[in-house]
Amino acid sequence: MTAIPRTRRLTAIAQDPAVMHHGGILMAEVEIPAEDLAPGPRGHRVHVIDYDASDDTLYAPRQDRLDEDPYRGVTDATRLLSDPGFHAQNVYAIIMATLSRIERALGRRAKWGFGGGGHQIKVAPHAFADANAFYSRRDEALMFGYFPGSHGTVFSCLSHDVVAHETTHAILDGLRPRFMEPSSPDQAAFHEGFADVVALLSVFGLEEVVDVALGGGDGAGALVSKNEVTVERLRDSTLLGLAEQMGDEVGAVRGHALRESAWLEPSKKYLGEPEYQLPHRRGEVFVAAMMNAFLEVWTRRLEPLFAGNTEHADRSRVVEEGAAAASHLLTMAVRALDYTPPVDLQFGDFLSAALTADTEAFPDDKRYGYREALRRTFASYGITPSPRDHDGDGLWDPPTEEMDYRRTHFSAMQRDTEEVFRFVWENRKRLVLDEMAYTYVHSVRPCTRVDVDGVTLREAVGEYVQILDVRASELRGVGLRRPDGMPADTTVRLYGGGALVFDEYGRLKYHVGSGVRSGLQNQRLQYLWDSGFCSSDRRQALSLSQLHRMRATGTSMGPSKEGW
Amino acid sequence: MAPSKPEGLTVRTYQVGFGDCFLLTFLYPRSERHVLIDFGSTGKPKDVGSRLLDRVAADIKQRCGGKLHAVVATHRHKDHIGGFATRKKGDGPGDIIASCSPEVVIQPWTEHPDAKPDARTAVADRTRLQAFVGALDDMQRVAEHARDQASSIKGVTKTVRHQLAFLGDDNVSNRSAVDNLMTMAKRCHYVHFGSRSGLEGLLPGVKVHVLGPPTLEQYEGIRSQRARDEGEFWHLHARAATPSPSSRRSTGKLFPKAATAGNPAYARWFRDRVRTARGESLLELVRILDRALNNTSVILLFEVGGRRLLFPGDAQIENWEYALEHARNRAALKRKLANVDFYKVGHHGSLNATPKSMWRAFTKRSTDEDADRMRSVVSTMGKKHGSETRGTEVPRRKLVAALKAETDYFTTQDLRGNKLSEVFEYELSTRRRGTKTE
Repeated sequence: MTAIPRTRRLTAIAQDPAVMHHGGILMAEVEIPAEDLAPGPRGHRVHVIDYDASDDTLYAPRQDRLDEDPYRGVTDATRLLSDPGFHAQNVYAIIMATLSRIERALGRRAKWGFGGGGHQIKVAPHAFADANAFYSRRDEALMFGYFPGSHGTVFSCLSHDVVAHETTHAILDGLRPRFMEPSSPDQAAFHEGFADVVALLSVFGLEEVVDVALGGGDGAGALVSKNEVTVERLRDSTLLGLAEQMGDEVGAVRGHALRESAWLEPSKKYLGEPEYQLPHRRGEVFVAAMMNAFLEVWTRRLEPLFAGNTEHADRSRVVEEGAAAASHLLTMAVRALDYTPPVDLQFGDFLSAALTADTEAFPDDKRYGYREALRRTFASYGITPSPRDHDGDGLWDPPTEEMDYRRTHFSAMQRDTEEVFRFVWENRKRLVLDEMAYTYVHSVRPCTRVDVDGVTLREAVGEYVQILDVRASELRGVGLRRPDGMPADTTVRLYGGGALVFDEYGRLKYHVGSGVRSGLQNQRLQYLWDSGFCSSDRRQALSLSQLHRMRATGTSMGPSKEGW
Repeated sequence: MAPSKPEGLTVRTYQVGFGDCFLLTFLYPRSERHVLIDFGSTGKPKDVGSRLLDRVAADIKQRCGGKLHAVVATHRHKDHIGGFATRKKGDGPGDIIASCSPEVVIQPWTEHPDAKPDARTAVADRTRLQAFVGALDDMQRVAEHARDQASSIKGVTKTVRHQLAFLGDDNVSNRSAVDNLMTMAKRCHYVHFGSRSGLEGLLPGVKVHVLGPPTLEQYEGIRSQRARDEGEFWHLHARAATPSPSSRRSTGKLFPKAATAGNPAYARWFRDRVRTARGESLLELVRILDRALNNTSVILLFEVGGRRLLFPGDAQIENWEYALEHARNRAALKRKLANVDFYKVGHHGSLNATPKSMWRAFTKRSTDEDADRMRSVVSTMGKKHGSETRGTEVPRRKLVAALKAETDYFTTQDLRGNKLSEVFEYELSTRRRGTKTE
């Protein structure tokens, strides 16, 4: 009997059609889970339906030999751009690669964020003639627009980072649905910033791209000199280099993420400035911190290649180390999610979550200093570990009180939300829950995380959410401050909740979050009041389509404290 | 001898449905001076009869005795300048206004002919100013596309369709009105925050402050605009909206050679979702450009005989922000604004055009109906703009409730049948005032 293949490789565009190599489009083979595809392609997680609403046309999917890759070795731009079958394969491959990359980091499956338990996200690679692309929870879909550029049609579905970005929104929404709620400038910015980070690190995780960005290709030498690989030089050559090559016009979809963040010099002042209260601008600060950490780690990984008096290193090794650095940072960023509070996220929470999750998986950080790099670059942009950490090491603290496990069952606690709810309710005093609030467990999953040395870390992660609606006049009664000018009859929705991380024996290792009456709520309420979100008919969740529009046009369309 | 100061003032608001049209008449001892602020409409009530704008124009001409001293066009939206459109026969409402030979036409700096980019200059090579102003033209092309799509677009709710048609129509370019405004007066004057109003010398004894719109440089003090990127964005959209003859639209589908699949069962649910999303996405775009054009509005504050009258056009919060939060003389301006007697409610009473902090600072608000409290006048029409479920209806209920409670409130929605205007009178020597409907 022959073994059934677990993965397959499919041809996709490495970045976007503007990034050329040897006279053709720079392509990459992405590794994705193998599966028995139906026409679409339609697999177990993704269903490409090539309907174009502007033309009212449904393009027929390829019907046969779906296990083959007819585009292997093809780089001819005219052929690739004019073939909707290739576009369908391109989105399918990049979405699956992004999903499986994130699942690998999480050590478990990741659900999509739409209700009803749907498993297959619908994807329209040519949804409409419009410079827009977005994830829509309501439509259970990713929609990619196209529009005429100065050198022919620009297809957002052919831009690797746009597809990975939208996919990440969809996955993040499944993991942390409340991150779309209005809460703070940081939380509004995080969805966009995180999607950019995953997209960019995915692109830099491709050796083909790193090589070209580093000036490889026709006529490039096989060696790289030591002074070419300082942090500053790499920023100029790689980050800005790729940003320059990327299709300029595809920036109309959601701005130029890489260019804006690579240009953002470190400064602790941004987050306090009015301009950076806009979600899309604030997100760029987060991206800049992550991309600088990437450059730092990459240079650190190169040190052994230039040990002693060595002035030159093999280009392929430099490229390999760059892709490895991007890949590890991507893993760190994704693993952090399970350690973030399920509501009211601050950038500092994300940093503490990333540091803690990475410490759990890789207790020794000495070799490449990933965590130090992250701390340093985040601090240079004014992001410090969460104030929820009390002992000052920047990592989450273990629970101070011993939980009661006597009435809950270990195996059920790994997967059954009812069982976890029972645990949460039994321990509500120790977890400082509010008995008045509506409480539910969103999910619980076992995960198996494997580190580079093959050591396995087993955990179960879950999260619960609490919601309490009170009138402004009742805020003082629950220990909170009523923002100045807020009418007494205003209904205010308070969110609380926590991420629960259980160790391999089912004991609670971390409880990350805060209660509906926590002092942190005062800050949030003030922000919501100041930004006009407290009005009952304006309490709307983030629309990613609208956010991308604001980003591309540099405008703000959200509610304002000056509005009625 | 030039009159020294006016002894009285009337402000006449016309029935133009959804739009603005105000005639200010300054009564000097031996003469009158007339200033028309805006004249346009994008929707009329059913009972107003035909040729409304022609009748309004004729009434203006009669009231001003055939002579307008100044015309202010706050911004280029149809509901503010549509009435200045002319007809080939020369009998359009704009022809009638032009025949009143205004001395000056006042418009925002964004309308200055020198700010317009040369059509041959590539978007990437434009100056920041050209990029900004060029984007305004591109926005109007996108609006035209949206308006044209509104009737045929599938899968959208009635509200979305209606909003696309309404906002699209309001934002399209009004060529003949724009040309008329450029040529009807002896001079054109373009204003920005802090500039001269252009009314100097025309209205002795009246001080006029320009509180908006800020210039690009003034804006940039607030936030670093990426005018070129934004210019590029609107240019792309405009190109998508108006295809050239050689583009694919003339040849049919996006992929003319690819096989298509009809409407199989597996795609039906999703097809409807994509259609809906497309309509909503287009509407989002139109909302953004609508707001951007509103924010080019001229804001004027008149000071005369101890009275203050505020005419902010459709300026929204981003336009106001400069005057209220960033201008060097903002404290002095706020003191002036606090004593406003007459407030032309911004943007037909929408939620984002009467900054709450300014409203709270108005000192002449009062719940005592007998007091000499401030007057507010909104020229508007319900169920045209925004939606109640989104909390964006125009006029906004909450704002109207506050205006009714604390000011002498008037809405043009109360002008029924053949009533063409409402007039508010101020005797500046005695500080008496009155109202009558005509």
